[in-house]
Amino acid sequence: MNDQEFKSLILSKRPRYAKSKIPVIEAFANKGQTKSEYSQFGPIYELYIYAFRLGLKKGLKHPLPTRNLTQDFVEIGKWKRDSSLVDFLLMVIFSHAEEIGFVWNELEDMDEKEINKVISGIIDFIESYANGGLEYLQEEWEKGSLINSSYLFVDLMNE
Amino acid sequence: MVDLLDRSTIPLKTASIKFSRMASIINKISFENFFNYYGSFERNTYELEEGVNIIVADNGAGKSKFFNAFLWLFTDQILDSDTKTKLSIKNACLKILSDKAKVETPIGESVNCGVMVEYTSGTRKKYQIIKSFTAKRIDEPITNENSWQFLINDVEVNETELVLHRYKPVYGEVEKKQVIDRLIMPVFRKYSFLQGEEVDEIIDFSKKESIEEAVENLTEIKQYENIHNLLKTFKDNAFKDLQRKRKESSAQNDRYDQAVDEKEKFENFIEQEESKLKQWQETYESAKKHKEELDKQYSNAEKRKELDDKLKPARRKLKEKKEEFEEFLDRINNRFFDGNFAWIAMGFDKEVAKFNELKERFTEKRYQKKALLEVEKNPNDYFHVMPIGSPDAASLQKMIKDEHCYVCNRPAAKGTAEHEYLIKMNERPKNISSDINFVKNDLNNFFGNIQINAQPFYTKIEQVRDSVLRTRQKEEELKASIERLSKQVKAFESHRSAIVIAGHDDDISSQDIISSYNTAVRQMENARGKIDDIIVPNIRKYKSQLKAIETELNSLSKDNNIPSAYQENYEIFQDLEESAQKAKDRVFDEMINLLEEHANIHFKNLIKNNDLAGGILKFEKNPSGTIDFNYIDSKGNIVSGSSEGFQRMKKFSVVMAIISANNALYNYPLLADAPISAFGEGFTEGFFDAIGHVFPQSIVLVKELYKREDDMKINELGKRLLKDERVKSMYVNNVPKNAEQIELETTQTRLK
Repeated sequence: MNDQEFKSLILSKRPRYAKSKIPVIEAFANKGQTKSEYSQFGPIYELYIYAFRLGLKKGLKHPLPTRNLTQDFVEIGKWKRDSSLVDFLLMVIFSHAEEIGFVWNELEDMDEKEINKVISGIIDFIESYANGGLEYLQEEWEKGSLINSSYLFVDLMNE
Repeated sequence: MVDLLDRSTIPLKTASIKFSRMASIINKISFENFFNYYGSFERNTYELEEGVNIIVADNGAGKSKFFNAFLWLFTDQILDSDTKTKLSIKNACLKILSDKAKVETPIGESVNCGVMVEYTSGTRKKYQIIKSFTAKRIDEPITNENSWQFLINDVEVNETELVLHRYKPVYGEVEKKQVIDRLIMPVFRKYSFLQGEEVDEIIDFSKKESIEEAVENLTEIKQYENIHNLLKTFKDNAFKDLQRKRKESSAQNDRYDQAVDEKEKFENFIEQEESKLKQWQETYESAKKHKEELDKQYSNAEKRKELDDKLKPARRKLKEKKEEFEEFLDRINNRFFDGNFAWIAMGFDKEVAKFNELKERFTEKRYQKKALLEVEKNPNDYFHVMPIGSPDAASLQKMIKDEHCYVCNRPAAKGTAEHEYLIKMNERPKNISSDINFVKNDLNNFFGNIQINAQPFYTKIEQVRDSVLRTRQKEEELKASIERLSKQVKAFESHRSAIVIAGHDDDISSQDIISSYNTAVRQMENARGKIDDIIVPNIRKYKSQLKAIETELNSLSKDNNIPSAYQENYEIFQDLEESAQKAKDRVFDEMINLLEEHANIHFKNLIKNNDLAGGILKFEKNPSGTIDFNYIDSKGNIVSGSSEGFQRMKKFSVVMAIISANNALYNYPLLADAPISAFGEGFTEGFFDAIGHVFPQSIVLVKELYKREDDMKINELGKRLLKDERVKSMYVNNVPKNAEQIELETTQTRLK
């Protein structure tokens, strides 16, 4: 397997989110649709990446529930195409290799089955933190403690 | 020809007694539960003096209510400020009665509402007039018509000799009416009793009757008209007599008949032309009226258009800025994921460092591993040591080409082991650099590429805070420029709405006003052309031909041997009729000149505190027989399109001229509700000065002098007027700030 094939394997994955997070996704990602009263992201993946970052920084690792209680969306390869965003994301993810449970060099000697297992771990890693981040947003939102401003998400990052 | 008119004896209407002895002076006005004037007559009394009296009141502080008291007094009506229509008192009781009084009246009880005026007439008599109604409350909801029974009380009129101080009632209805009328005679009320914009209506220069009525009020012109009509009848009769006599003798019958026919023919011509003239005069008059209606709007429309021309781009700019701002706000979150801002990278510095560390370790480990594998496979390739002085690549290639080893200086022919060795030596570095597949999955480039590609994000981690700050600054800048543009637009808009005349031209476009104005002007010019160039010359021509025919008729009748008395009789009446006509015209013209002269005096007084360059007001007869009234500047040009205030000032000058051109001094007070609202401060002083010269007493209700923040509640101009000796009394009306309607009561403070 070469580097391209390895990368494609990751990029072809469609991370999932818990169905319970649909309201918060609808509130904060407009998907190019109508505006809500709050400052919003565009596509779901933006909110998802943001939530992932929030979860990661706040240490909120909340694994997803069982598969039929979740829903997928666009594959990673289609997140902000022609941008290096995904590369940066991969950078962040691979810096957490230890937590995910693999060693870089060992990847080079794994067979396909083992590689898939690692990639699945990577996706779990993304999903768990994104889920944690979304949950945090949902709670704050329901508590009414989100201050509606254009800098809502910047401010949340600084907390 | 007989000249009936000696210029020095224009029969102006003269009054033998001057107002100092005859004038009506209002001494006191009181209200009881009348609108916001809550409470008894005693609580709501204004003591007034001869001279200028000023009542200062902000909007809603009883200004128009004051005026309404006089409307009630004179016409049993009030002006409904909501609908701008006059309501009969009968239908307005609920509206008039103070809400506070309503609330305080228990069911089953009654409350009074009324106005009372006391005035002196001349030097002997003093009168009191009270109009009132009683309201009995019969149900709970106070603003419901059905909760009240209203009973209009008989008008109460009392009189007293000034020396007696004790009133006794006047009983007869006729006498009561006389007392009310004497306060301000109905025919003069329109000059004396004016409310704001109504100044415009008093003298409507487009209406023929309007100025004629003024002239009629001031002169005995009707008598001239009567004389003229009488003389015309005499002349016609004289002609009939003459004709009858002529028929009795037959000598030149045919020739005479022919001349008479001719005379009738030309008389018909003249009649036709005169009827055409009348039609065109009507056309002219109606176009002129239309133009004058539009005058105010036109000048405003022009200004509005000018403002609109500025407003449009300003509004567009504001809209664009707002859109830019909206988009800017919408796109703020894009900055998380845009490599130019990379806000999402904030706080990931540890991850980046960790990645780089792992990458280094990865590379290191991988090369160690590779090297070990290589060595295991091909130890000779790795541990072969070239002797000192070994040839470089170029020398090796030369040796291969020459089939000779220059190191040991012996031949190395193609195909020999020596030659093979040279080739092997030459290719050696290539073999080493070529990659050996030493791992199952080569991920070196994967990590390398990530490191390179992710640069736009991780190189900006340090700058994200600054970038957010700059974004906030940019937002502030956008907000500031929106605010600036909004202010600009608002200023234009408020300037614009200030020149939109309330209610009637807001929905008509400036363009429409300008175009109907121009149409009216064209119609006027057209009519003027028809009248001046065709009809009037025709009439003149026919009249001179008629005169020749009449001369011919005269000589034909002489030939007929008719008694000369008939002829002379006719000629005398002909002459007299013509003179009467001329006299009438001259009286009219003289009066117009006099009005012009007086109007200019007042106008100069009114504008003396303004920097208007010395122009004059000019009255000119126009083809339709009405008077054109213009302001001519010092260069002789007509000034048009002036402000509404200026237009009103002009008209006010004429109103005062009508009063002052009267030989006698005017005997009635001026009651004016905010006539200066459109004048501006410069005019305001002139106004108070001018009315002092014309009216024996003026009571002026005005908002412009009000200043809430001031201790005395009046502005600087108000204070100057307070010191002015012509101002005899000054009141300020107060209403509690932010009071509920049912709490509202007007109180008054006398400042002078």
